[in-house]
Amino acid sequence: MIKQTSFAVLGLVAAFVSPLGRAANTATPLCQSRETPGGARDIATALDKLRPLLSEKQRAALDRPLTETSAIQWSNLPLAIVPRAGLRLGDLDERQIAAANEVFNAALSTCGLLALQQIRQADDYLAAFDKRQIGWHGGNYFLSVLGSPSAGGPWMLQLGGHHLAYNFTFAGREPGATPMFIGSEPIRFEVRGSNVEPMEAQTSAMSRLAVAIAKRTGSRLSGTFTDVVKGVVVTGEPGKPPSGGTDTGFPHTYPTGDTDRGIKASTLPAEELELVRVAIARFAQLPDAAISGALLDAYLAPGALAETYVGFAGSPDLGTQGSYVRIDGPRVWMELVVQRAIAFPDQLHYHALWRDKRSDYGGELRR
Amino acid sequence: MKRAAFAAIAWLLAGTSFPHPAPNSFLRLDIRPDGIRAEYWVPVSELAFARARDPADEAYPTYLVRHFGFETPAGEPWRLTIEKVREADYAEHAFLVAEIRLVPPSGASAREFVVVDDTVTHEVRNHVVYVMAKHGDQADLLGALQYPARRLSVAARQPAEAR
Repeated sequence: MIKQTSFAVLGLVAAFVSPLGRAANTATPLCQSRETPGGARDIATALDKLRPLLSEKQRAALDRPLTETSAIQWSNLPLAIVPRAGLRLGDLDERQIAAANEVFNAALSTCGLLALQQIRQADDYLAAFDKRQIGWHGGNYFLSVLGSPSAGGPWMLQLGGHHLAYNFTFAGREPGATPMFIGSEPIRFEVRGSNVEPMEAQTSAMSRLAVAIAKRTGSRLSGTFTDVVKGVVVTGEPGKPPSGGTDTGFPHTYPTGDTDRGIKASTLPAEELELVRVAIARFAQLPDAAISGALLDAYLAPGALAETYVGFAGSPDLGTQGSYVRIDGPRVWMELVVQRAIAFPDQLHYHALWRDKRSDYGGELRR
Repeated sequence: MKRAAFAAIAWLLAGTSFPHPAPNSFLRLDIRPDGIRAEYWVPVSELAFARARDPADEAYPTYLVRHFGFETPAGEPWRLTIEKVREADYAEHAFLVAEIRLVPPSGASAREFVVVDDTVTHEVRNHVVYVMAKHGDQADLLGALQYPARRLSVAARQPAEAR
């Protein structure tokens, strides 16, 4: 089956085949990847076509060394709070955009491309309503290549901005699709008469899971959640500008044992276990299958899934501030929280984070 | 440095807007030979979640001494006096600022101690308390506390070693 997906804002049109089914739920529509292998080789080829179209200054912004400092320099916060390095997508001309889109096509599934498009649209939407100089703008998204795809060593592709961070690592100790952050404010909005809900797939999957397990003893996590737990680190000192906002908290420690981690997936009936699989897939299928397919297989392997905990706090339907759902497995860490919105303080918005306990940054930044 | 300067300028240009819905706490220490003068900045929004199940009539200083203290590395408690609690704003959030005097037991160093605190973190899982030592206009980050941790061991540098 060949699926044609057009993207109004980014002008992305690509042919996709081969559902990423693998061990995931096959009854639910899944994200799709390109017919070609995708991943490192395709991305490198697309980058080679993009570079000649860039100015020297743009190439210098795109290609930078892979260091710990450059790798963790992603954020979910807007540009005025956390300046980004990299090639600014809003500065590209039509030919450059077309070439950059080929990079995105090689790196992302249909769902990942749609998330990129709609999260950028959300920022454009905010810019029209919130005139504070925060940096809302669909052009304030950046592409970076850290390290060199041709040098034989580890390298990273970073693509992100406000509420979006794709961090893919190649030729590292491990294939790395994380850390990955997605967020959405507004939760849903209208663009040229069409409803847009950037995180509908993730929030509906996590909510269905939370509602299903809510009746089970041990599924409710203790405490209150006002943000994701393993996110970027915002520091500062009273009286001075806030600082940080990047992943300086890496590497993280994770809960161990059985206490307060939610309910073990192995105790769930088949239909609820399927909801766990779907929720994991909704995040892990945002990258191209060549990048995250093996990770998804690892998360959904029967032994790993049996040792995975799922828990929630707040309202399982995600309808109130502080609602939270978490999937915590031997490797996978996925969390989604409902927060008060920023531009529209009487509304809510989402933050979600996917980490791999072993292969964040391809395992290259282990200390 | 360039990046920090840009961030500062951007922050100022933005009219100090800081769109982060989950502010953290800051414990700023002025370490002296005979003890510490501390400012503990706790965001009102996160404190409200932490105190949701507390007796409604409990005064904040009473609450604070139940959740906050210093100890020597051997576990002996420091003397703690909350001298004042005031309200202040930082990064578009309202804070309660407790001005606290901390005195180590006789013979104990004022530069080696354990911060014991779960004022907010016993309830708010993503909340972080940043502990910093003041040196003139600058402050060095000594460490951070986030659930489930509630103890932070500190061996602060002598003033001459400070940046």
